[in-house]
Amino acid sequence: MQDEGGQILIRVSNLEQSFKIGEEMLKVLHPSSFTIKKNSFNIIYGPSGSGKSTLLNVLSGIQVPSGGQVTYDGRDIYKYSAEQLAYFRAKSIGVVYQQNYWVNSLNVIENVSIPLFFLGYNRAAAAKKAMDALQRVDMAPFAKKSPLMLSGGEQQRIAMARAIVNDPSVIITDEPTGSLDSKNGDMIMALLESYQRDLNRTIILVTHNMEYLPLADQLVHIQDGQCQQMQSGDISETTETLLNQMKARIDHLARKKQDA
Amino acid sequence: MRNQEDDTIKKRPKIHLNTLFYMAWRNLTSKKLRSFLTIAGIVVGIGSIAFLISFGLGLQKLVTDNVIGDKSIKTIEITSPNSKIIKLNDTAVNKIRRFPHIEKVGVEYSFPSSVALKGGGIDSVIYGVDQTFQDLTTLNLLEGRLLQKNDNRSALVSLSALRGIGVTDPKKAVGQEIEIVVPLQLADSEADELRDTFKVVGVIDSDQNNEIFVPSAVFDVAGVPTYKQVKVTIDDTSNIPTLRKQIESNGFLTNSPIDTLEQINQLFKFFNIILAGFGGIGIIVAILGMFNTLTISLLERTKEIGLMITLGGRKRDMRRLFMIEAVLLSLIGVFIGMFGSFIASRVINELVNQNAAQRVNERFEIFSLPLWLIAALTAFMLIVGLIVAYFPARRAQKISPIDALRRE
Repeated sequence: MQDEGGQILIRVSNLEQSFKIGEEMLKVLHPSSFTIKKNSFNIIYGPSGSGKSTLLNVLSGIQVPSGGQVTYDGRDIYKYSAEQLAYFRAKSIGVVYQQNYWVNSLNVIENVSIPLFFLGYNRAAAAKKAMDALQRVDMAPFAKKSPLMLSGGEQQRIAMARAIVNDPSVIITDEPTGSLDSKNGDMIMALLESYQRDLNRTIILVTHNMEYLPLADQLVHIQDGQCQQMQSGDISETTETLLNQMKARIDHLARKKQDA
Repeated sequence: MRNQEDDTIKKRPKIHLNTLFYMAWRNLTSKKLRSFLTIAGIVVGIGSIAFLISFGLGLQKLVTDNVIGDKSIKTIEITSPNSKIIKLNDTAVNKIRRFPHIEKVGVEYSFPSSVALKGGGIDSVIYGVDQTFQDLTTLNLLEGRLLQKNDNRSALVSLSALRGIGVTDPKKAVGQEIEIVVPLQLADSEADELRDTFKVVGVIDSDQNNEIFVPSAVFDVAGVPTYKQVKVTIDDTSNIPTLRKQIESNGFLTNSPIDTLEQINQLFKFFNIILAGFGGIGIIVAILGMFNTLTISLLERTKEIGLMITLGGRKRDMRRLFMIEAVLLSLIGVFIGMFGSFIASRVINELVNQNAAQRVNERFEIFSLPLWLIAALTAFMLIVGLIVAYFPARRAQKISPIDALRRE
């Protein structure tokens, strides 16, 4: 298979994932294949428990899949040694989680510098780059504060700065607006969009929130571990279908209550 | 382009060691109380063991110095078990002089004598010594000078003997003429005693004993046939045993300060082990404290470690981070502990000295903190710190970022 004009960044082929829970094998991801184009805004959409987080872990290089391949620029990342994979994570991937984690003893700018530390930057050089990243998210005045002292929205912006500090080719985010109010949520989405648009980077947003679907160039719909890839043209139709499904569910529940 | 990126993956740069040190340091300083208590444990442990061992070594040194003094342990003292049968005379001395490894030979006569300034005399031991023997004997000169090569009727007198003949101020003794009578029972001699006046040239500090040193030539001339004692020095202590055997096979008795030294060392080896044992209890408690701190720190930081792995940290970096924290705790603890024990030893030494000042006129030192002890304790604590850190560090290395960052 030839990449379409070198446009494909990530190719997921026959990816599957199962976990052994006690005696039982639990299949979290059924064999799935899809591609992620360079410089595109992608949404992986699915309800809770659909296998989203597992897919995100596999894509971000911390979960070795049970089967299939994940290639970035044509290279199977799970063929790397553990140390090469660690370097790949530091260099090529930025992650933002719903709930953010910090190295509690380090201040904001040092936390933002962590991916650079692992890329071999010394502290001065890392601080310089980290300050640029903080400026991009408008958080430069907070550089010397502890991240734990900041509000959820501020923390999320700093997490954004940490995700972009190493100029990764892809930013993977897991419900980045999940614990924010709508104002802060919109701001994070705007940051992601501008990063994709202005710097030509690839965004992968994992969410169960339908509101954001219209932003996507491409949608991967995941349900019960089955992935289905849709291009932008089909997204509005899909959104419509999903909304109708939800409406039907709500109506169904309302009728049940009335009957009772 | 692909190849280029493959190359950087192969020759990937790594996190700087000083960045890891910095991160470890920040973690320790962010938990001030806990780090302080852990370090305090190490300070007490290392401090007490350093204090006790330096006390043991100090006492050993003090005892050795007092017993052996400036006597070289490279000397052998030779006497005869029976001067009538086995004669320690010039023939014997010349024979000994030709043994291998011998460097210097000194001879000494000694007799009971009586000494007087004016009128009434007192009993004293008189030694006739040659220059070499005088050099090999530690004489603590208070006034005047030692015996010299061309001295003839010159004498060194001990403080106690001076008092006996009525001179209380040692300064006034130098230059005085004293009369000495030595009974000699010589078979072929005309006189049965040696009676002469000597000029005092020096006063020595031998508080307890009435002692007088005169040149050995005095007795040579008088025709005394055998020496009381011969002292020889050897090029190296390792040759002492064989040489002693050789001398003893000629019927003489030998004695060496190395015998005493070995006895002292034997005794103190035991004593020092007991002291180190007491200190060791403190160290064990400190080690358990450090183990506890590192383990708790690991459990608290599972998420942090998971995060750092996600952000590109290698598992071995996580292990090193814990190792470095242990090294920092150990080194700071050792440094303060050593310094504390040094200060404590200075204070106690001063107190003991002041307390003893009425009875002893010289200052003494009951602690000894040699460099090797500092180095050994530092190395010991570092190694122990690394061993203690090994288990939490290995757990840190095994943390799975997926489990660590799983949403609750």
